[in-house]
Amino acid sequence: MTLLLKATWYEIIKIASKWRTYIGFITIAILIPVIMFLVRKYGFGVQDNALNSMKGSFVFVGSLVNGLIVSYFLMNVLWVHFPFFIVLVAGDVVSSEGAAGTFRIWLTRPISRFQVITAKFIATFVYTAAIVLFLGLLSVGLGMLIVGGGDLFVFDKGILILSQGEALYRFLIAYLLAVCVQMTVASLCFLFSSLTSNSVGPIIGTYATLVVMFILSMLKIDALKVIHPYLFTSYFDVFFAPFSDPIPWQEIAGDVGKLGIFILVFYLASAISFIRKEITT
Amino acid sequence: MILRTKNLSKRFGNRWAVDGLNLEVEKGQIFGFLGPNGAGKSTTIRILLSLIKPTTGEFSFFGKDFRKTGRNVYAKIGALVEKPDFYQFLTARRNLQMLAGLSGGVPDKRIDEVLEIVKLADRADDRVKSYSHGMKQRLGIAQSILNHPEIIILDEPTNGLDPEGIKEIRKLILRLAGDFGITVFLSSHLLHEIEQTCSHVAIIDNGKLVVQGEVHDLLRKNDFYITEVLVDDPQRAMSLLEKEIWIQKITSGDGVLKIKIPAESRPRLTQFLVENGFAVSSVIPRTSLEDYYLTLLNRDMK
Repeated sequence: MTLLLKATWYEIIKIASKWRTYIGFITIAILIPVIMFLVRKYGFGVQDNALNSMKGSFVFVGSLVNGLIVSYFLMNVLWVHFPFFIVLVAGDVVSSEGAAGTFRIWLTRPISRFQVITAKFIATFVYTAAIVLFLGLLSVGLGMLIVGGGDLFVFDKGILILSQGEALYRFLIAYLLAVCVQMTVASLCFLFSSLTSNSVGPIIGTYATLVVMFILSMLKIDALKVIHPYLFTSYFDVFFAPFSDPIPWQEIAGDVGKLGIFILVFYLASAISFIRKEITT
Repeated sequence: MILRTKNLSKRFGNRWAVDGLNLEVEKGQIFGFLGPNGAGKSTTIRILLSLIKPTTGEFSFFGKDFRKTGRNVYAKIGALVEKPDFYQFLTARRNLQMLAGLSGGVPDKRIDEVLEIVKLADRADDRVKSYSHGMKQRLGIAQSILNHPEIIILDEPTNGLDPEGIKEIRKLILRLAGDFGITVFLSSHLLHEIEQTCSHVAIIDNGKLVVQGEVHDLLRKNDFYITEVLVDDPQRAMSLLEKEIWIQKITSGDGVLKIKIPAESRPRLTQFLVENGFAVSSVIPRTSLEDYYLTLLNRDMK
């Protein structure tokens, strides 16, 4: 156990020591303030249009556009764009060591291969959680700071207005669920990474899988519904579930459970592949 | 017995890279593992370090079957497989700290000690990417002795080094064995490296063991001693000696006569030269593992 903890810490150090780790953080740190300042200066078209269509039925006093609404809309990046920052690191975690030859030294220690791969997996999870929560913290925090706080106005089978406190609570749940979603992407990439000796292959492989799954998930063809439960992208929208009223805990638990199974399967497959791997480089 | 392999074999596709290898390494030996490139040396070492799995056969460290001890035995073993690849983006100290952590129970001051031994203490906090090949090689040896191992397994540690670097590594290996009592298992394709460093040798070719034993015994048994003689008139000496039937072979180069005779005939040679009026400056017995090695491999090929 001590060896596993040490190895995990070392894996976190390794991830933290690479330049590529910060690409996502830097991009988010630049993008979010820019978006928030632009919204503050030029308004928020999408929500304004939605509100305008309802002005015949409702009387709106003041502006409903605030930092929380912008943050809510920004969560859409978590579908396709954000996984790039995940695979950039997850794709490198195992494969780069095969290519660099560092396993020759690392794996001649008393630590077992299972512990090594587990340490790498946990470190990947830490990175994934860190960058997702960083996005959440920055988008909600800077949104409130730059654009302003207030009630959150969302569309969920109608209009749902959440108080600022309630909205912040929902954002917290949403981003924790987003960690789970992104971890599914990370674990798939991690599996690919354990099968190859270069980090480009896992990145492309994961993205190709994601795109294919999104296409299959989105096509409204009855025949394809049979395979939908087996596509992890079918459960990706779980991070929007907390913005329903009441929060559909049962549905969320079901989706998280299924994503958890995908994560577990990818992790175990990675572990088996790594334990059997012959280090010939 | 510190290391023993029994019928160790590894097959890649249809080719047996290692074929029924039986090695025995005793405590305190500097054991040379010699063979041409592609003979199966690195494959054997990778099996011993669990980087690859053997197809058949078994091996034991410290008299205990590896299948029973498992990886825990590596706490008493140091290794350097081919060129040492570290995390380039980390400092040497950080690399060693991490490896020490995984070796179990290595105090921080040990890191300073090993860096001192390999003469890298002043560069300890530089990133490895700024190191020369020779420095990386020394750092590789430093990591191999971090955990006070009883045996270190070194796979071609002088590969790619300049003569000065080779000399440094050789001195370091001899120091580790002499001063620290570490058993050394040294693989190399360089004959003179084994000859100058090792007490024992196993020669491997095409994955099979050709011979193993004490370097001097093997050479003496097969009489591969050459006597180098420096005299005032080498040409005349050569023409005289060629006529003597007790001289097996004689060549000359750079003014030095290289004479193949049994070790017990050496005093007779000196006496012969003096009696014939030569001024003898030196008579130096030299072993030639190279001759022995080539003879063995040629014999094997036949």
